[in-house]
Amino acid sequence: MMPINNYRESRQILVCCGTGCQASGSMEVFNAFKSQLRSIEGVEVTASTKATGCNGWCEQGPLVKILPDDITYCLVKVKDVPRIIEKTILNQEIVEQLLYRDPVSKKRIKSHHQLNFYRKQKKIALRNIGEIDPASIDDYIARDGYQALKKAFSMSALDIINEVIASGLRGRGGGGFPTGLKWLSCFKQQETKRYIICNGDEGDPGAFMDRSIMEGDPHTVIEGMLICALALGASSGYIYVRDEYGLAVNNLRQAIQDARDRSLLGHDIMGQGYSFDIEIVRGGGAFVCGEETALMASIEGNVGEPRDKYLFPAEKGLWGYPTIINNVETWANIPVIINQGAQEFTSIGTEKSTGTKVFSLVGKVVNTGLVEVPMGTTLREIIFEIGGGILKGRRFKAVQTGGPSGGCIPADLLDLELDFDSLSKAGSMMGSGGLIVMDERTCMVEVARYYLNFLAGESCGKCVPCREGIRRMLEILSRICDGKGQSGDLELLEDLAETVRDASLCGLGKTAPNPVLSTIRYFRDEYLAHIEEHQCPAGICRSLTRFSIDPEKCTGCSLCKKNCPADCIIGELKEAHWIDINKCIKCGSCVDTCKFEAVVIGKEGGK
Amino acid sequence: MKILIDDLEVEVTHGETILTSARKAGIHIPTLCYHEAFEGQGRCRLCLVEVDCRGVKQVVTSCTYPVTEEITVRTSTPGIEKMRKNIVMLLYKQASASTILHDMYLEYGCSENSLSDNPEEKCMVCNLCVLACEEMGSSAISLIMRGTEKRAATPYDEASEVCLGCGACAAICPTQAIEVIERDGYRIIWNKKFTLLKCQHCGRSFATEEQLAYIDSKGKYADPDSLICLNCRRKMTAEKIGIFT
Repeated sequence: MMPINNYRESRQILVCCGTGCQASGSMEVFNAFKSQLRSIEGVEVTASTKATGCNGWCEQGPLVKILPDDITYCLVKVKDVPRIIEKTILNQEIVEQLLYRDPVSKKRIKSHHQLNFYRKQKKIALRNIGEIDPASIDDYIARDGYQALKKAFSMSALDIINEVIASGLRGRGGGGFPTGLKWLSCFKQQETKRYIICNGDEGDPGAFMDRSIMEGDPHTVIEGMLICALALGASSGYIYVRDEYGLAVNNLRQAIQDARDRSLLGHDIMGQGYSFDIEIVRGGGAFVCGEETALMASIEGNVGEPRDKYLFPAEKGLWGYPTIINNVETWANIPVIINQGAQEFTSIGTEKSTGTKVFSLVGKVVNTGLVEVPMGTTLREIIFEIGGGILKGRRFKAVQTGGPSGGCIPADLLDLELDFDSLSKAGSMMGSGGLIVMDERTCMVEVARYYLNFLAGESCGKCVPCREGIRRMLEILSRICDGKGQSGDLELLEDLAETVRDASLCGLGKTAPNPVLSTIRYFRDEYLAHIEEHQCPAGICRSLTRFSIDPEKCTGCSLCKKNCPADCIIGELKEAHWIDINKCIKCGSCVDTCKFEAVVIGKEGGK
Repeated sequence: MKILIDDLEVEVTHGETILTSARKAGIHIPTLCYHEAFEGQGRCRLCLVEVDCRGVKQVVTSCTYPVTEEITVRTSTPGIEKMRKNIVMLLYKQASASTILHDMYLEYGCSENSLSDNPEEKCMVCNLCVLACEEMGSSAISLIMRGTEKRAATPYDEASEVCLGCGACAAICPTQAIEVIERDGYRIIWNKKFTLLKCQHCGRSFATEEQLAYIDSKGKYADPDSLICLNCRRKMTAEKIGIFT
């Protein structure tokens, strides 16, 4: 039998220190483990405590994983640390209360690997995240890190490019352009001075896949860029990170320095006489700088405005030189493709969209977080199996995919197999992979208005169709939400949307009408209810909504009264309540709290 | 190289834009943000045309599309006319005080709709003023903010230290949106007041002190002591070479 001390030493405690878990106090938990383990006399176990990147299951953070037992503790607080050390580390016992409890079976689940949330996932881009300490290059190397680079040195430039072409990898940033073909087009340019850029300006509200990769596995991004640089003979590259991603910048900086120290980056890489270095550029907070030509303008020190792409960046990019710009997630796939070969990669996903895609699953879904699934996985599998369904058992209404200029997909299309082409056919897009789940208490007109409002502020304002078209679509949507919709508004919206889509300069403008067109396409009745009947069926638009309580259904439980922020619900316990409409602020908290469906969503001015 | 524009064969040099090729051949394509002095910007999108390149049709802005192979161009299709009409409508609704936009609104037969006007505004954010200022060498103004808030301004809307008051911005503005006030020997532009210098010959105000000082600094002003306006200078030259004798 193993001596007890050695046994303890072999334990690894992985504390998730992604941004989500950090916000829930995981750094304190991590520090508590470190200091409390140190104070146990005669046992040296501190070295095995690791702060890892985001595990994706942010809903249940901070997450603590114990290896090799494969135990996952959820929602861990500092006060739980002594108990975990006492029971699990020293006595091999499980702390039942900290295990995840399946809401359906009510059973405690020991390892996250047994959860639907993880079981259905296939990790390629996120393969190391949550498993390694992002600050440790040794951790990365121990999991085949920089092996692909080593292999690439033994390949010719065209072999590398052809491998990427054969893998069928398409850009994960939104466009879905075949990555290998982009590289090939750059390779064919006469100009030999070339640049490599990593687009880490993830700006979609609610999207955090790129942040997670940059924070949790920065070396994979560096290795991916190195392989491309090697194939194209580029000597310098940039990682453009949005300014809000402080942890990502820190971890990337550390990784770049560590890679330089090991001769994996900088001068004379791996002693092969080849040099390439990477510089980090912090974005200034403009959403449009995620558009590649605007991003390059920003690196050049100009205003972040896109330009026409009649010449692609691969032909004429940064400072006029051929440039390869790929998204973070795309780069993270490269080392795996080179290591395992294109064939292995094409065995995953669909014919025209190979591999996996990372989605950030948020909104009214039970398990919010990051999920990586093979292309072709259905929305139903993602939302109901991995995501655990809709919060509070409500009805699913729509899912918004692809960021602010994506579209809303209704319940009829839940069995849609997600890939680049199926999503655009459905009037939405892959975008960078945001999935925002909406329940029945969502007004689709208001959703369209919300996104257009975002885009009105985030369009760069350079071209007329985008700037003025969005302004006017927003004007119409706002008045519809205010109950001032007019007949002809829908037709005008559609007409404007078409011009914005077809005449705008860049991808932002071309896709900006998606929220409008997709909601009109799938939820036309809801628009008509607003315009013709002056009613918001979901009870969200305040000018069109009046709440009342059905005395037949009300049990007088008083829950709505307790939750009402405006104190406008009146009634004695166990007697039917009623709402003082003069004081009501129409927040809808009564609808959300009532367990008897007694609150009626009515029409303002109606009964 | 030859390309077809509206069934007319046009000779173009490699890399030339469709717009300049068309203009050389006398084919009209409407523009608002384009000026011969600068490269095409692709902002107003009025110059959209349909390009057929090896069977693939694409709508492009003719002011930025470089011709690099044989293509067929249509400057007017029902789809393009519809987009132009909407663009003119959108511009007029936003800069309703501009007479040129109003005229175009009527010319394009834009139908009345329920969108609100903006009766005080003349600027359509075409950026030509910024380009002109940059070309003059001052870069006193730029487009600030983004999205629907975008507009041309000096930094923080304050009087700019580097503004020469030359008025190149106002001269190039297609919608006369830049206010220039001239009275009592002063010029006020972009919230800055300039002293105007008088022509020693005809007595008319013709340039700001800053303008002449700037030209001096570039060593291009022949005789700094004699202040003579361009008009008088022309006349004097004409007299010298005997045109009006």
